[in-house]
Amino acid sequence: MPNTPQLKSKHPYAEYIERIQQGKTLLPDTPENVLEVVGVLKSYGVVMDAYYKNLIYIAEGQFLELFPFFKYFDGKVTIAKLMRHLWHDRINFEYAEYCMKVMQWHGGGGLDEYLESETFRKCAQKAIDAKTRGNFFIRGLNKAFPEFLLEQVRQSVYYSVLGQFWDVMCEIFLTLSDLYDQGKITTIPQIVEHVKAGLVRAASKPIVYAVEIGGQRYNIIPKSAKLTFLADAAIPYVETIFFRGTPFLGTVSYNAQAQQIPFDQGRFAYGALYADPLPIGGAGIPPTLLMQDMRHYIPDYLHQVYQQTIRKEDDLLIKLCESFQKSMFCVTNATIVGLMPHPIDTRDPKEQKINLVYLQGWMDRLRSSQLESVQIGSAS
Amino acid sequence: MLSILLWIPLIGAIAIALWPNFQSGRQVKQFSLVVSVLALVWTAVIGSQFDIAIAGSQFQETIPWLDSLGLRYQVGIDGLSFPLVALNSLLTCIAIYSTDDDLERPRFYYSLMLLLNFGVVGAFLAENMLLFFLFFEIELIPLYLLIGIWGGARRGYAATKFLIYTAVSGIAILGSFLGLVWLSGADSFVYQPDLAHSLSLTQQVVLLGGLLLGFGIKIPLVPLHTWLPDAHVEASTPVSVLLAGVLLKLGTYGLLRFGVGLFPEAWAVLAPWLASWAVVSVLYGAFTAIAQTDMKKMVAFSSVGHMGFILLAAAAATPLSLVAVELQMVSHGLISALLFLLVGVVYKKTGTRDLTILRGLLNPERGLPVIGSLMVLGVMASAGIPGMVGFISEFLVFRASFTAFPVQTLLCMVGTGLTAVYFLLLVNQAFFGRLTTRADGKVVTLPPVAWSDRYPGILLALLVVLFGLQPSWITGWTEASITQLAKTAATPVAVLAPNAAAAVLGQSSIPS
Amino acid sequence: MNDILVQTSWWVPCYGLLGALLTLPWSMGLVKRSGPRPAAYFNILMTVASLIHGTLVFRATWHQEPVQLVFHWLKVADFDLTFLVEISSTTTGVMELVTSLSFVAQIFALGYMEKDFALARFFGLMGFFEAAMSGLAISNSLFLSYALLEMLTLSTYLLVGFWYAQPLVVTAARDAFLTKRVGDILLLMGVVTLSVLAGSLNFPDLYDWAETATLTPLVATLLGLALIAGPSGKCAQFPFHLWLDEAMEGPNPASILRNSVVVSSGAYFLIKLQPILNLSPVALTTLIVIGSITAIGESLVAIAQIDIKRALSHSTSAYLGLVFIAVGMQWTNVAFLLLFTHAIAKALIFMSVGGLIITTNTQDLTEYGGLWSRMPATTSSFVVGASALVGLFPLGCFWAFERGLDIYWYDQPLLAAIVLTVNLLTAINLTRIFRLVFLGASQPKTRRAPEVPWPMAVPMVSMIIVTLLSPLMMMRLSLLPNLASLNRSAAAALVLSGIIGCSIGATLSLNRSMARPIQKQLRVLQDILAYDFYIDRLYRVTVVFVVASLSKITAWIDRYIVDGLVNAIGLASVLSGESLKYSASGQSQFYMLTILIGVGILGLLFTWTLC
Repeated sequence: MPNTPQLKSKHPYAEYIERIQQGKTLLPDTPENVLEVVGVLKSYGVVMDAYYKNLIYIAEGQFLELFPFFKYFDGKVTIAKLMRHLWHDRINFEYAEYCMKVMQWHGGGGLDEYLESETFRKCAQKAIDAKTRGNFFIRGLNKAFPEFLLEQVRQSVYYSVLGQFWDVMCEIFLTLSDLYDQGKITTIPQIVEHVKAGLVRAASKPIVYAVEIGGQRYNIIPKSAKLTFLADAAIPYVETIFFRGTPFLGTVSYNAQAQQIPFDQGRFAYGALYADPLPIGGAGIPPTLLMQDMRHYIPDYLHQVYQQTIRKEDDLLIKLCESFQKSMFCVTNATIVGLMPHPIDTRDPKEQKINLVYLQGWMDRLRSSQLESVQIGSAS
Repeated sequence: MLSILLWIPLIGAIAIALWPNFQSGRQVKQFSLVVSVLALVWTAVIGSQFDIAIAGSQFQETIPWLDSLGLRYQVGIDGLSFPLVALNSLLTCIAIYSTDDDLERPRFYYSLMLLLNFGVVGAFLAENMLLFFLFFEIELIPLYLLIGIWGGARRGYAATKFLIYTAVSGIAILGSFLGLVWLSGADSFVYQPDLAHSLSLTQQVVLLGGLLLGFGIKIPLVPLHTWLPDAHVEASTPVSVLLAGVLLKLGTYGLLRFGVGLFPEAWAVLAPWLASWAVVSVLYGAFTAIAQTDMKKMVAFSSVGHMGFILLAAAAATPLSLVAVELQMVSHGLISALLFLLVGVVYKKTGTRDLTILRGLLNPERGLPVIGSLMVLGVMASAGIPGMVGFISEFLVFRASFTAFPVQTLLCMVGTGLTAVYFLLLVNQAFFGRLTTRADGKVVTLPPVAWSDRYPGILLALLVVLFGLQPSWITGWTEASITQLAKTAATPVAVLAPNAAAAVLGQSSIPS
Repeated sequence: MNDILVQTSWWVPCYGLLGALLTLPWSMGLVKRSGPRPAAYFNILMTVASLIHGTLVFRATWHQEPVQLVFHWLKVADFDLTFLVEISSTTTGVMELVTSLSFVAQIFALGYMEKDFALARFFGLMGFFEAAMSGLAISNSLFLSYALLEMLTLSTYLLVGFWYAQPLVVTAARDAFLTKRVGDILLLMGVVTLSVLAGSLNFPDLYDWAETATLTPLVATLLGLALIAGPSGKCAQFPFHLWLDEAMEGPNPASILRNSVVVSSGAYFLIKLQPILNLSPVALTTLIVIGSITAIGESLVAIAQIDIKRALSHSTSAYLGLVFIAVGMQWTNVAFLLLFTHAIAKALIFMSVGGLIITTNTQDLTEYGGLWSRMPATTSSFVVGASALVGLFPLGCFWAFERGLDIYWYDQPLLAAIVLTVNLLTAINLTRIFRLVFLGASQPKTRRAPEVPWPMAVPMVSMIIVTLLSPLMMMRLSLLPNLASLNRSAAAALVLSGIIGCSIGATLSLNRSMARPIQKQLRVLQDILAYDFYIDRLYRVTVVFVVASLSKITAWIDRYIVDGLVNAIGLASVLSGESLKYSASGQSQFYMLTILIGVGILGLLFTWTLC
């Protein structure tokens, strides 16, 4: 692969384009980076496992519940669990919901179109009717505000879809960690390859969603909707969570007159690849929740690395975020490679040209991301 | 009993200098910390025996020394000096505790610290003017060396400037004392409130002028202040803490004890001028502070401004205003010590105090969040926000001075408002925003803040709040003595207080 | 039992303070492994405690004579500082209003701030906020009230500065503090003066004094102006009104309190001051003048805002302007009624706004649209809140306005016109906002907008109920006039002004895109209003400029004249200036030391010969 002659680019990020063309990775391939990425993905995997199970539970078990007091309990409410919940000694499921809301708000993909379709309306209406049977107040309210429950169902759909997406991702990350522990993964390209392979494997997995009300199943996304993992969950996820995101109240002013936030959501650059790790842990920075969750599941080898830094345990959340961003560049890298219109090592100049344009498109978007800063140094 | 308060630091200082068995700087520090805590405990013991109802001096001790010179070892403590002695003992402990472990020439340093404590306590306790003067001079030498050896880059300049200024201050004070004793024909330098009675008003004014110059440098009052910002900027944090917390108080204490106490008539004549001088100091200090970009310099100029409030209240010389003076002294001692400590931690961790560079230090992971929160508390206390001791002390200053000098008081209140301006600039610049500690904007990870860096600040912050909620725990100590002092000085408010004349008449009967 | 309740009623503010203290382990970062929500629960629990205690006290004081509690705080020399606390149904009722609004705002915050990890600090500050305000409600001492107002200033600063890393927050927090501080310092001047003149700082003594006091007109005027400066800052009145606009950078749950009870606490204090203000006709006139300017000016400014929070916060200033007018006219009952009804309505509207922001991630009115059908609670909150605000019969503000109009109708037609104009302009503004936000087609940012979860929806719904029931509550508290004695023409004019306003608002052509009026004059007018008459620039060239220049001048003088002179003359004669300035040579130091010791010995010798 490496010696294939490739088209040169004049893009400011030509260096990265070249790297991908040569089968290298966006993140420099160093043993430290491998350790950090695998370590953080391991803890992310553990947290994600809890996240996705809870999302699926809320989508199916708390469907159209207006007062889901125990939505984070996965259906098992015990006193001990309640106490721990109240003491906030728990996974911050709020973060999963935040991601879900961001995904829903930005929309995009086939899922978004499906939610506007007549099919969806019919499916959802059936479930709504079944759920609100006998509840005249809610029915009346829904009459007065006709989109009220429909919009809630759409939200449930996103709960479920993100749950299904993370189910797959969580397994990819945890097997990655296992392979690393077994010594089978030692380089960044291998990590990227592993993630890519996982994505490709799941690419055409159907996305479906049904709820059970009164012993009967109501399909909300039937199989016939033909929604699939890669196109309708993974790509919108990368677009909305990695790239767009939402402005953090802790760093960006929502003041309309100050015009700090673009009108066009396509120009949003607040996602995981762009966020500044430094304010993590402070007020108004939602990813803090994720880092706080991950801190409990850091593998020992990574924890030792963190312990050797100047501030040790004090700035753990920032270090986690920095490592996390590195790992997200690996996932992005896998996505870029996985979606290449033509094989990387193609010799056809036309295909090479198309590949180049494709890569330049990605690089344009990565211009203001943290790509440059993950190039230098490991955890500091 | 009282002399033990002098012996503890003195013996400690000598022991550190001479005892050969110290293994490391840490050991010296621990030893001197023990000594300073002992002194603090002994202060508490004295406090527990102190009778707050007695107006005059307590625990008096007299030993003949150079009687032909009129110099006697004569010490005592009253409500005016006790809070300041306690403040000194406390801040010495804090200063020693917050000194770096890996200091160079630790023995010399700590013996100087204790010597400084010795000098200051001596000055507060002395009941003989010459003895006061001796202690006043003794305290200069360790302070000079502490700035000159362990200071910053321009320490030589700052130390020398400090020395020259305070030497002038010493000469002026000594001159006044000598003049007083000479003119009044007294046979010794023993402190007697009625010493200046026989003097003509002109003589009194001239002698008081000498004291004003001397103590005015020490306080410092504008335009005699320029040694202070330099000394603060160059001094290490613990020295700054002592300098701002206690040493400046020697100046105001001197004014109160010797200015108001010895020359009430002249004081009354000069009072309106003094009040106006206070206004100049307050506003000048505040406006200059606004323009500073060095955090420490800003706090130093804020000191100049806040010490001006003390002059204002002292000028009014009513019982209430003199209590306010005492409260403001303690309050300023605690608050400025807190601020200097915090600025010191910021400097130690970030390597800079430049407000054009520092940003976002509140960052909870990589910044100094606890120090930042204490800083917010400290600047709010300094700006006179209720719930903290700065509020009630300033309120009393204003309330008491308003009767005598309404216009000057109102102008000084503008100074309080300006305090909020510059300190808010400080907090918003350095602690809000995205974390930055270098001019080139590069992110460097700051060393972690240990709890030992925070404890002194937390302790002072607690005291600031505690006395803010219960100011009577300070004023209680001092009220009896102050009331007596105010009686001596009752002349300036004779117009407003009908019984002032009686008080003036009564003063000759006060035993000397 | 009742006696104990009343005697311990001063605990009510303390609960909030205790709650704030309980958050410290989390907000100081001592607890790092688990999350900060227990701090929030503690705080809410403490608020519930104060709510229960407050309710019991309220019932105990019902139809009872007010009870005064005296606390001796500080007695020095001839100065005795006591805190007087008045426990009556009015004061405890106000305290109840504060704690209940604080309670709903905190529940709301549980939802709104759920993904903010600095929750503990936020709730701590809310507890502090609540403590200061409920303390203010029962304080009957000018000194204590002043102290509590300052604590409010501090907590406003800290709450606005909550997202301290956000650039606009940095300036907003600073401006909020400094603006209020200017008012506070002037107020402090008044407090000190009063303390000297009247000899006591408790309101009953001050009222007695004010009845018999003979002050020169100049002193009375200055005193009056100083006293109203504090409330003007707190209530965001002209010319101290800019901070409220900027304070909208803070978290929305705090904005709920700020726009309802925090600004009102300034006005409450003003009502307390009213008998003293009677000393100075100029001060009363000033109140009416700044109230009128603010009421009309800010109503207009509100209409030109494109930020939803700001469009509503300017209207808060306007309503408080009406309160100022009422106090200036010495009609404190009208002022009270207006404060009460406005607080409830505004709190509700701001809850609705919180729901909008959290679902749509925008505050820009031009980016909203078509939300009504998806968000029942949020929509109803806005509608009910807005109706209560514009004096729609029989909701809250109608009665307050009606009462005011009734009084001004014959004697002060101009003031009646102002009230009607404010109502008209508010109606235009609220209708405009409603159309932009809830009607029309969905926009990209509003096309996916599920209703907010229950922690935010429940407070909204409960406040809707409270707002709808508030006329009944007022009736039970016998605050409402008899329907028969209603001034028909005034009521009709009021309703008419609302209707006209709504129709103008409904027919106004609204451009969702940022398109600007084509006529140049209109564009200029829009800008003038949108940027609040450019008052901030006025500040910049006046006060800020003066302070900045003075500080530069004194710093220059300090460096080059005072210090320069010392360096050049004083020291150069002793040593060569150069070596002193730049070198730390040991020689010169020891030289100086010798001088010092020399002085000492010389002095001693001199004394020797003397004696």
